[in-house]
Amino acid sequence: MSIFDEIGSVAENFHNKLDKIIDQEQIVDLKNKYLGRKGIVSNLFSQIGKVAAENRKKVGKSLNSLKNELTKKINEKDQQFSVSEEKSKKTDYSLPGYSFNKGSQHPITQSIDEMLDIFNHLGFDIAYGPEVETDWYNFGSLNFPKNHPARDMQDTFYTEGSGILRTHTSPVQTRFMTKNKPPVRIVAPGRVYRNEAISPRSYCVFNQIEGLYVDKDVTFSDLRGTLDMFCKMYFGSDVKLKFRTSYFPFTEPSAEVDVSCFLCDGKGCRVCKNTGWLEILGCGMIDPNVFKSVGYDPEKYNGFAFGLGVERMAMLKLGINDIRILYENDIEFLKQF
Amino acid sequence: MKVSLSWLQQYIKIEDKPEILAKKLTLAGLEATVNIVGKSVPDKVVIGQVLSVEKHPNADKLSVCKVNVGDNEELTIVCGASNVAADQKVPVALVGSKLASDFKIKKTKLRGIESHGMICAEDELGLGNMHEGIMVLDNDYEIGKNYNDYLEKEIVFDIDLTPNRPDCMSHFGVVREIAAITDSKYKFNKININESGKKIEDLTKINIENNEACPRYTARVIQNIEVKESPKWLKKRIESVGLRSINNIVDASNYVMIETGHPLHTFDFDKLSGHEINVRFAKSGEQFETIDHVKRKLSSEMLLICDSEKPIALAGIMGGSFSEVDENTKNVLVESAYFNPAVIRKGSKLQQLSTDSSKRFERGTDSNDTLIYSQNRLTGLINEVAGGQIAKGMIDIYPKKIDEKIVKLRFSKIKNITGLQIEKQEIKRIFIALGFEITEFSDDNISVKVPTFRPDIEREIDLVEEVIRINSMDKIPTLRKINISVSENVDKLHPFLKSIRNLFVGMGFNETLSNSLVSEKMAKSGIWNYKPLKIQNPLSKEMDTLRTDIIQSLLANLKINVLRKREDIRLFEIGKTIEKESRSETGAKEHLNLGVLVTGTVWGLNWNEKSKPVNVYYFKGIVNLICEKYGIDNVKYKETKNCENNSESVSIYIQKKEIGRIIKYEISKFDKLQLDYPVIVMEINLDTMFKKRNKIQKYREISLYPSIMRDISVVIDKTKMAKDLLDEIKTNGGGNLIDVIIYDRFIDHEKLGKDKISLSFRLEFRSKERTLKDNEIDKIMEKIFNKLLTNYGAQLR
Repeated sequence: MSIFDEIGSVAENFHNKLDKIIDQEQIVDLKNKYLGRKGIVSNLFSQIGKVAAENRKKVGKSLNSLKNELTKKINEKDQQFSVSEEKSKKTDYSLPGYSFNKGSQHPITQSIDEMLDIFNHLGFDIAYGPEVETDWYNFGSLNFPKNHPARDMQDTFYTEGSGILRTHTSPVQTRFMTKNKPPVRIVAPGRVYRNEAISPRSYCVFNQIEGLYVDKDVTFSDLRGTLDMFCKMYFGSDVKLKFRTSYFPFTEPSAEVDVSCFLCDGKGCRVCKNTGWLEILGCGMIDPNVFKSVGYDPEKYNGFAFGLGVERMAMLKLGINDIRILYENDIEFLKQF
Repeated sequence: MKVSLSWLQQYIKIEDKPEILAKKLTLAGLEATVNIVGKSVPDKVVIGQVLSVEKHPNADKLSVCKVNVGDNEELTIVCGASNVAADQKVPVALVGSKLASDFKIKKTKLRGIESHGMICAEDELGLGNMHEGIMVLDNDYEIGKNYNDYLEKEIVFDIDLTPNRPDCMSHFGVVREIAAITDSKYKFNKININESGKKIEDLTKINIENNEACPRYTARVIQNIEVKESPKWLKKRIESVGLRSINNIVDASNYVMIETGHPLHTFDFDKLSGHEINVRFAKSGEQFETIDHVKRKLSSEMLLICDSEKPIALAGIMGGSFSEVDENTKNVLVESAYFNPAVIRKGSKLQQLSTDSSKRFERGTDSNDTLIYSQNRLTGLINEVAGGQIAKGMIDIYPKKIDEKIVKLRFSKIKNITGLQIEKQEIKRIFIALGFEITEFSDDNISVKVPTFRPDIEREIDLVEEVIRINSMDKIPTLRKINISVSENVDKLHPFLKSIRNLFVGMGFNETLSNSLVSEKMAKSGIWNYKPLKIQNPLSKEMDTLRTDIIQSLLANLKINVLRKREDIRLFEIGKTIEKESRSETGAKEHLNLGVLVTGTVWGLNWNEKSKPVNVYYFKGIVNLICEKYGIDNVKYKETKNCENNSESVSIYIQKKEIGRIIKYEISKFDKLQLDYPVIVMEINLDTMFKKRNKIQKYREISLYPSIMRDISVVIDKTKMAKDLLDEIKTNGGGNLIDVIIYDRFIDHEKLGKDKISLSFRLEFRSKERTLKDNEIDKIMEKIFNKLLTNYGAQLR
């Protein structure tokens, strides 16, 4: 076998072996075997002395190109492996992502937003009033006579001077009507205050949404329609409504509204105390005395008003049975919403 | 208010089941629930008869009894009671009965003899307190029957009344309601009294000082009565509605009040000095002891019933201990009067004394028929249960009759208010059933005379309600289509607040909702130095003031979270803060504020990023973001003077107005909480932000040409302010300088020198008209550097 043939078979063997390589360790072995100090290529170089002088130059040239080719191939292969290794080192997809703090809106303001969206949808604008009120707006303008037991329905906080903490959002009705001519169609969200002992079922501060619609020819049927639509949009289209006669000084006739218990579909459960109904809001047709106190003509205009407790509605919907947790602000609680 | 079914049935035939009736009453505005009142014993307690009693062979105090419990079953029961004897009928708790949650009757061996049940004492069955021996029952009790079958029960409606219906605080009132709701007839008994005594004018006289406060006063006298225990039927009635039986006179008086709704009073006639009644207002500071033995100091607004010398009752509220009827009373004076509701209410409030009587008077009683009916009813009843002679005649002081009002109802009004047409005959029927007299009935109208027991009815609208609540509260149609009037004024505040909330939620903050009632101390710590507004009648000292800022609320929320070892706390809240302002009509000025609190790191603990604690610049970034979003410029920061210990603070200004503050509290402020990081808070007045916001957002043309970036790093004295250098760069950067940011800042004594600081700025230039050239920017950069050198001594690094 001529030395040229030998060079050819070395190259061929090398390529076969190179193809079978599976890791970097084998590359090192292969490199040592062919290109090491006592390796195959260096062995071939040492045979150059035995070659006929006229061929020496030619043999040297092809040995050099063999060495270069092998070095290049090994480096390439080595590169391949280190790239893939580095890649796997860089991205371990099982590592957790960065932890973003979970922001959250308070369940009560979320509920208010949701309810206001529905009322906006039904054509109500939003209005506001102060939390510290006058006796006139909180009571007088709403047909609560002085020294009348109706005032006991709402335990009142009195502030220094002559102010009181509003016991309901209803004063926004008369404030708004005093400043605006009919037709008016508003909802008023906000905090109200009751001087009641704090318990799982009552808190001295809570939120209400007041509704008011005054125009010619507004009837109790419109009130029923509006509240029916609202409850179906808020609780689900299956709920039914029941109106019971009640008493509020600023509406006549007045009613309490029960909604069929959406937790048990009206079959009776712990939350609805086995009645199948949940008491959710109060409403009625605006009393003519309220119209008189804001300068509207009760013969010309009719109107309805309603007031709902946001906490109560939200607690029913979310299954919260202690109102105090809403005002405690533990982030473990808040992050759930 | 409790009404008993059997009591109601004396006046009206009731065909509905109690539950159905309760539902109907509720729909009509009398929220009623059904209760079964009376005593009951646990299951498996039966009537047994003792057949034989023998001494227990191994125990002195025990006996071994054979007891027949029916069905020819004979039980051996060991009994410890000394009164057990053969032939007695006794209650027997059988094996398996449960006398208390932890007391179940089992088969047990007592001193060697097996006992199969227990013969019970009163207290063991929950029927009383008697433990002295077993209960011995009447002989007519049937062996083997459940003991429960012999215990009396009453069906009682608990009615939750609204304050406009004093007439329904009585059986008569509820009867009228039932008649109207169920379309049935009722009848109240006529009263016949036998006046066999002396003439009343010879016995007593009545004098009323103020006819407005006491428009009517009637009195009768009954002599030679006997005060004793009430007869069984009276006791039963009184107890069925939850009252305690006292004696026949007191019970009779309560009975009539519960029946007719009119509160009455009986005085021991012999204890009345001068045998006379004077109705007058108290003198300021006058003292009086009521029957609850409380000595009360009176003000001149209290109406009193007096004899010739002294007060004997707080009119309409409570009698005095002195003139109380007791077992020695022989002669009584019966008062049936009408007092002005407002006077009684005021008195009741002043004395903080609310009684069955005051509750009725302050809501309004009937000055006419009911008052007289009740007077005669009670007089007759006392005569019936206590004997004696009724004096001839009745004193009746009623100088100015309170007339029944006549109110007209247009039939069209019902449709106008409710959207529902109701039959005229049905309307008429309702008013008659409710006790109204019809004075006019035409095609268009009905007019009624309103009985004075219905003080709530004065106007047409009140009549509309009567018809609706009785006939059709559940029949009014629910319109599926509504006519609406739409206003052009659309509220902008709520969307503004909503977007601020969204911003914070997106940045990982949790929104809180805190009590606005805080302690005075908290209110005084508020950052705005508002004068706190106090509550006159607080629930507690911890909640006697309205909050003056949001930060104090957030710090309280922080505490709860830290005590529960929550980490990386980021809170925000939007709410009102309140300042005392005596010039305002409410005595308060309200501000809408945003509060923010953070303690912890920018990133939570994780495997890669080394996280840094949140600092003041984090908050400045948030403020910038909000301001940019709402187009508010000219925001300036100035160090706040006079801030608390352990804190540093910077105030935020818009056009010279302080609109907020960022405060950093060192860990040392919260020594008990053991915090890991300082607490940074911020509060911003949203009223101002809302007002100053850019209301109309407009499109700004964007540049289509590339920008050129240039960096410049300078070394300056530590005393120089970054903001000033930034402003200097902006002023000299020309119209094409669109942004400057500081991307590096460091202090290094060795490299930079003592009291020196290095700042690196990156400037971005961009033109809307063309691509900028390097050489023109070079010139600008040179100018900027020269300015920084001359004005701030800046050296290039």
